[in-house]
Amino acid sequence: MGELLAIRKEMRELFTLQCLGGFNSRMAQHKLHVPLPFEEIMQRHEREIMRYLLRMSSDHEDAADLFQETWLRAYRAYPRLDSESGVRPWLYAIATNLCRNRARDSARRGRVVVSDTKKLPAADTIGRDHRLDHENEGYAAVHMRELISDLPTKQQHALQLRYFAGLDYAAIASALGCSEESARANVSQATRKLKARW
Amino acid sequence: MKMATLMRSIGSDFTDEVIEELLLRSRGKVDNALQRIRRPQAAVGVVKSPLGNLLVAMSNRGIVLNHYLVDDRDLAATLEKVRSQLDLVEDPRTIKEVGVEIHRYLAGEEKALRQNIDLSLAASPFQEKVLRKLQEIPRGAVVSYQALGAAAGAPKGARAVGNAMHNNPVPIYVPCHRVILSDGGLGGYGGGAARKLQLLRSEGFALGDGDVRLPDSVVWGHRGTRIYCRTNCRAAARADRRRMLFFAGQKAARQAGLRSCKICRPD
Repeated sequence: MGELLAIRKEMRELFTLQCLGGFNSRMAQHKLHVPLPFEEIMQRHEREIMRYLLRMSSDHEDAADLFQETWLRAYRAYPRLDSESGVRPWLYAIATNLCRNRARDSARRGRVVVSDTKKLPAADTIGRDHRLDHENEGYAAVHMRELISDLPTKQQHALQLRYFAGLDYAAIASALGCSEESARANVSQATRKLKARW
Repeated sequence: MKMATLMRSIGSDFTDEVIEELLLRSRGKVDNALQRIRRPQAAVGVVKSPLGNLLVAMSNRGIVLNHYLVDDRDLAATLEKVRSQLDLVEDPRTIKEVGVEIHRYLAGEEKALRQNIDLSLAASPFQEKVLRKLQEIPRGAVVSYQALGAAAGAPKGARAVGNAMHNNPVPIYVPCHRVILSDGGLGGYGGGAARKLQLLRSEGFALGDGDVRLPDSVVWGHRGTRIYCRTNCRAAARADRRRMLFFAGQKAARQAGLRSCKICRPD
């Protein structure tokens, strides 16, 4: 009886091994592509997103609000993001859309956004950090800001993403939801206009 | 001044201190807001088992996913589906135990499956209820779709039970291989009929390769009367099929606490 049980056990093990070979031989070694934890994405990009939002909104409170909303939206949409290489333009796309929504809502409510010059150390920074050959450096920065804000929204966003966020044209296209050629054209038109008006 | 120089200087007009101060203020708020919408975390990995490779996920409440992997496309599609409900972290060490347990279970160890079960990926409350009822079916017994539906409060819901089995997020641990057709046919299985056969065989059913029906050695057990009979017993023929279980043999029926029928005397 004991012998019989031993033989049965051996046969069972043999069968198990056979099955293992049978099921696994059909499959390649699976490579698991689990995306990075969201916290890590946040840690890597929070500074540049905050910088971008500050530049776009020119107001600390607005930037902080938009920052929170950007990460909430990003968290909700994170499972739908296909590849990790696209994280940066994707985050900029979310931030840009939120800025656009905010600007539209403000315009609809008739709110007047007055930028706080104390919170915009542009004039000081430029005067301190750069040797400029302009007579009135602070004025130059403010003038440039005004010129940029007069551009059409899409050109503004493309310019900001190209020069200040340092994205390449493919990433700008992905962030703004347009073709690469269109992104290139927007940036070039914006610079041409700025040069003409400067 | 050149325009490009000025553009660059505007690019760096917010000093690092300003950014850091704002970040410090905002981080807490973002964390609090995220806490409210956070998905449960789960360790995920691929384990090898005698039934092939499995994609396994463990939440802090127990095993939440056990998926038979067909190919890499299947793996990517399943991960994408699960990511919308869980925050996945790759962790082969946490899920390794599942492979060992399944190996031991198939080798005949009765209580090898020890992980707690988390049914949070069940597709609907009804399906969750069906899966919970299914967990009550003991090893060595099988139930029909119809009877399981009746137990879950839907006596006419055999097909809905079929859907619940199809969507079972944790096969093997939630034993959807123990659900068969009312007439004794083995029916289908998400992981393929071969795996269903192998699982039922390891639970004591005398099945050969390619069998499509339960063997004649099974006995019928009635949940109400707690009596088991031969399949040709005249008393069993009159009994309510919706409360019947099929047992692999008399031993399994007795282990489940049933006594033998005094009419057909299966013992």
